[in-house]
Amino acid sequence: MSAHHSDPLDNPEVQQGTTLRFAVAFLASVLFMGAALLVSQHKLPFLEFAEIVVGLTFLTLAAQATLFFGLDISRAQIWKSVSLILTVPLFIISVGLTVWAFSSLYSRTMLPANEVPSMSMPMGSNATMSMPAQQTLLQ
Amino acid sequence: MATIAKAGPNTRLWNAEADEHDTISTRTFGFWLYMLSDALIFTSIFASYAVLSTPMNLAGGPGPAQVTNAVEGFWQTLIILGSVFAYSQATVALKNGSKAGVAAGILVAMALGVAFVSMGWHDLAALTAQGNGYSRSAYLSIFFTLIATHGLHMGIGILWMLIMLVQIARFGFTADVVARLLNLRMFWQFQATIWVLVYVYVYLLGGAA
Repeated sequence: MSAHHSDPLDNPEVQQGTTLRFAVAFLASVLFMGAALLVSQHKLPFLEFAEIVVGLTFLTLAAQATLFFGLDISRAQIWKSVSLILTVPLFIISVGLTVWAFSSLYSRTMLPANEVPSMSMPMGSNATMSMPAQQTLLQ
Repeated sequence: MATIAKAGPNTRLWNAEADEHDTISTRTFGFWLYMLSDALIFTSIFASYAVLSTPMNLAGGPGPAQVTNAVEGFWQTLIILGSVFAYSQATVALKNGSKAGVAAGILVAMALGVAFVSMGWHDLAALTAQGNGYSRSAYLSIFFTLIATHGLHMGIGILWMLIMLVQIARFGFTADVVARLLNLRMFWQFQATIWVLVYVYVYLLGGAA
């Protein structure tokens, strides 16, 4: 990138956006999310449903990254692309490890919801967990 | 066989002028890194949401299927994507140096942003009015936190747009103003990206689980 332009409007990041590119980004995002909504209206097995929706989400995010954000391997954008690629695993690891840790923790330490008295409080109640329930959990 | 000369006091190890970045690109890259760290705030909230959306944490209150509506969430998705598209059009007008075009794009983006935040606020207010407020259960605490954190980001974006309208009118397209407009474009697009994740994770997958 040249540092010798004096007009800020000549900057590659200003010049990279086009109406067509942004329109395609918008339409692709709406289309993929609309498809995910339609799939959610059908009674599919949860795992199958989740696979389809996660796939559509990936397509939506890819469309946004490449078309809205304009990420690519050009000289102007490559370090943004690299930093994003290095951050996405952190995102997945953080959420994934937390879910994994707590799923095993819950199954080892918590009573099923229907065995804890406070789990069946009426809607709108402000009561906290009852004393017998606390004692049960502490035993 | 080539010989390797030892570095001495006059050895030139790098050329400081060879890879100079302009100020605008340096600023947008810095802001991009800030946004990635901001994304990790949402990561921690998503992780907490996953932990606290189990039946153990409902405390007899409503769960994801009761507090979310996938169709209504899709309308919010349409609105935020429309807002991002409008702001993106403002930056297309920026390319042509059109102050009126930039201002029009920002105003439409702001209006749609306000509509989006209003819908989210209305949902949270309705839940609270039903006795299912922030403190009703651990699940509702994290649900309110997630929606409110995203809404707060949206509010900051709307305020930023207002400030940029003033700066464009007062200073024109200076290097500082252009860098801020580009950063704001990234910030606004980032809100739509986060919302897509919220919509899928909370409204679609959460509602179906």
